[in-house]
Amino acid sequence: MRAAATGTTGRDQDIVELIRLGRRDGAFEELLRRYEGKVYRLCCALLRDHTQAEDAAQDSLVRVWKALDRYDGRASLSSWIYAITRNRCLTALERRRKLDSGDEPGEAPEAALAAAAAPPWDGRAQQLRALVEGMPEHLRRVLLLYYYEDRSVREVALMLGCSEGTVKTTLFRARATLTEMLKRRGWDDPAYWAEEFS
Amino acid sequence: MTGPAADGKLERALDGALGRALRAPNVPETFHCRLNAGLARAADSADLSTLRKRLESERREQLGTLEANYIRVRRSALGTLIGVAFAAGAAAAIALPWLRAHLGAHTPQALAWGGIALGLGIAFFEPLRRLLRRY
Repeated sequence: MRAAATGTTGRDQDIVELIRLGRRDGAFEELLRRYEGKVYRLCCALLRDHTQAEDAAQDSLVRVWKALDRYDGRASLSSWIYAITRNRCLTALERRRKLDSGDEPGEAPEAALAAAAAPPWDGRAQQLRALVEGMPEHLRRVLLLYYYEDRSVREVALMLGCSEGTVKTTLFRARATLTEMLKRRGWDDPAYWAEEFS
Repeated sequence: MTGPAADGKLERALDGALGRALRAPNVPETFHCRLNAGLARAADSADLSTLRKRLESERREQLGTLEANYIRVRRSALGTLIGVAFAAGAAAAIALPWLRAHLGAHTPQALAWGGIALGLGIAFFEPLRRLLRRY
């Protein structure tokens, strides 16, 4: 009943049950299997830096482990984990802002991240990633997570702690912004994008 | 090519292209090792923190017990003092007329001086002993 009320999925329910039984290690192992990648991808999308994302993801998971006994099931497990991760990323962003006060955020970190995640070389993919990189932060985050999470609006909403409606609206704006950018550069021929990747 | 149909085509092509270009980054290979090390550190600090909390709690408990005992002893000493004083008063009220009648009119004063000397002797015995021991 609680699972339905909080949106906890079946496998999350198993983890919650393990926590309730005091089997903390087993619960955390299962939680890692399920959320490790998601936490890392959320950190990547929020921080735009490979190394910082790895640090933040690890720190978030350690925090989750420390607080596991205190998880009371009021929020769904995923919301709880993502909230911890977002808080950790916000702290990292704040720290970075203080260190880089006055500097514009560089494009290098995300370019490096995208290059590491992408096929060895692809000219048009690089162009597309560069365009996405140039988008406003709130649009870029949602767009990245949407494609990282296999186009799941629900998962992106959970990760960012907002409603699915907000994600859909932001996605719509992001696509419109991107299309506008393509048109300005004369890259708006569908074949230009279809051929290269097909 | 312009219009809604062209836009729709571009959107679809762009969606496919984005799906391929924005691939989800894989968790780095070193991630697990570093995470395990972090967890081990957290476990150690959690153990230390638990131990510290337990010791602090025990210490608080001991201090509480000591304080309670101290208050009990003070109350008991005060009670004894009051009881003994009244008992002495009652005994004096009964015994003094008899002492005056059988041992003379100055007997109560003599007894009082004797009591004072005994009390002062007991009070100053220990400090005097310490003083003498030092020199």
